[in-house]
Amino acid sequence: MSIWIVCEGTLDGYRSTTYELLSQARKMKADGGEEVVAVVVGDDAANKDRLSGLADKVLVLAGPNLSPYETDPWVDAIASAVGEAAPKLVCFGEGQRTRDVLPRIAARLALTAVTSAVGLKLENGVFTLNRPVQGGKAYASLELGEGTALVAFRPNSFVADAPAGLATSVEEKAVAPGASRAPVVDRVVEAGRRVDITEAQVIVCGGRGMKSADNLKLLDELAQLLGGTYGVTRAIVDAGWEGADHSIQVGKSGKTVSPGLYFACGISGATHHIMGMDTAKVVVTINTDPSAIMFEYSDYGIAGDALEVLPLVIEEIRKVKGAA
Amino acid sequence: MKVAVLAKEVPDLEASVKVAEGGAALDIEKRKVLNFFDEIAVEAALKLKEGVGAEVYAVSAGAGTGTEALRRAIAMGVPTAFLINDPALDGANPLTVARALAAFVQAQGFDLIIAGRQATDDEAGLVGPMVAEILGIPSVVGITVLEAEEGKVRVTRETESGKETIELTLPALVTAEKGLYEARVPAVTGVMKAMRAKIESKSLADLGVEVAEPVKVLGYRPPAKRAAVKMIPGDAATAASELVKLLREEAKVL
Repeated sequence: MSIWIVCEGTLDGYRSTTYELLSQARKMKADGGEEVVAVVVGDDAANKDRLSGLADKVLVLAGPNLSPYETDPWVDAIASAVGEAAPKLVCFGEGQRTRDVLPRIAARLALTAVTSAVGLKLENGVFTLNRPVQGGKAYASLELGEGTALVAFRPNSFVADAPAGLATSVEEKAVAPGASRAPVVDRVVEAGRRVDITEAQVIVCGGRGMKSADNLKLLDELAQLLGGTYGVTRAIVDAGWEGADHSIQVGKSGKTVSPGLYFACGISGATHHIMGMDTAKVVVTINTDPSAIMFEYSDYGIAGDALEVLPLVIEEIRKVKGAA
Repeated sequence: MKVAVLAKEVPDLEASVKVAEGGAALDIEKRKVLNFFDEIAVEAALKLKEGVGAEVYAVSAGAGTGTEALRRAIAMGVPTAFLINDPALDGANPLTVARALAAFVQAQGFDLIIAGRQATDDEAGLVGPMVAEILGIPSVVGITVLEAEEGKVRVTRETESGKETIELTLPALVTAEKGLYEARVPAVTGVMKAMRAKIESKSLADLGVEVAEPVKVLGYRPPAKRAAVKMIPGDAATAASELVKLLREEAKVL
């Protein structure tokens, strides 16, 4: 019962989802899980020392065409390794790369594929997991059958708190991926891109009640103070507010998020918004309209103007942080 | 250029969904629409039809579903639509759906396949790239710009760190992200045409598709219910201070 985690590199380590999945796999060793294998591809191996203690083995897939990331060579590399070793479960963090490669690997090897998964258990040698269905209006419990399954988990699905301390071996495997058939001809790296909103632990989200693009800086200020990031609703993305990019839109046609703390500021609570954030642990809503639907999906509510309340909340947090 | 659009029929976002039969099934209100992202895919195909004279068709796969989605595509301006209709597609493995769609477009012919980034019901995002893999063609997921050139398309997509532009030699598959285009609202004449349109249908056996075993569903449950909201009274300053106290001491998230 080998469990593979496909790790995703960042500048200084790996995505937080990678650590969450490794932790969950270590926990399952007590339930009959066997080897935990951290799979790193191409340049993502640069920080492999960070994985020391977190897995039984780091499997480095090395070969041509793997850096920088492009879909085809990564599919070739991972598919050849998975096909050969046939691990029981291959875990990915939800994200763009995963959405590129996972379906293709599954189709190539005719494997079970599940995305948007949120929970994972191992009992009596059988893996079960949960995933939202019908846009999160219900959850399905799934049982993985025979053969290898490829599963993508949403960020923040697990807490990365399992003890480390495994003796980690490193195995380098040579793979021979072909060249990309979809070459990137231009890459624009935007300076100052903050935390990936799907992985953020704190999200301060604003809607029409923020009244103007200029006021989005209040969201940003509170988010930065709490080490998080700000988000926006579809309404203000579609209205073309500056600073309200689709890449930080929370909701059905944007990102699905699951932070520990979520602020909804000046957001009425349209269904397509709720579907993107309902798994947040603690939700705070600030809205002038006390009958706003958003309050029904919240733990704490303030019936007030976000533009007036937010600066006070920021000031209050500064005060307690300063005292601590 | 020949463009195939993969169109899925899904419940309307506002359709009610209830867990039924003690968790064994879902009771979904019958309000069917064309998937949001597939509407954008249809729009992109129509732009190619109008811009470079592309020949466009749409195809949907379902067990007794798909007609509504295809009628919407026709109403928007897609000239021809096909349905793959088979009871085995009910709750099917996405690989089965992908095999069916791939077999169909292979027979029908294509240079470019456009699908939506994902369906709003399952949010799986599997079928599009699976179709590309089965057909042995490249795929780009979640594009926001599409430009056609001779035998090629240039696409742009958002990445975690910015944007990238990719050049694809056809045949290829792309999936549409919000922002690619705003889907048009069908004209009345289009709606009339869609109502009268004859949609040819095929079964999995017609297409010679091997069914992949679906993942076993043990049951369904409703989403975890949140406790009633705690409204914090007082003027803005009092409420702000009380909120921070509750987040620290009660919710323990600060």
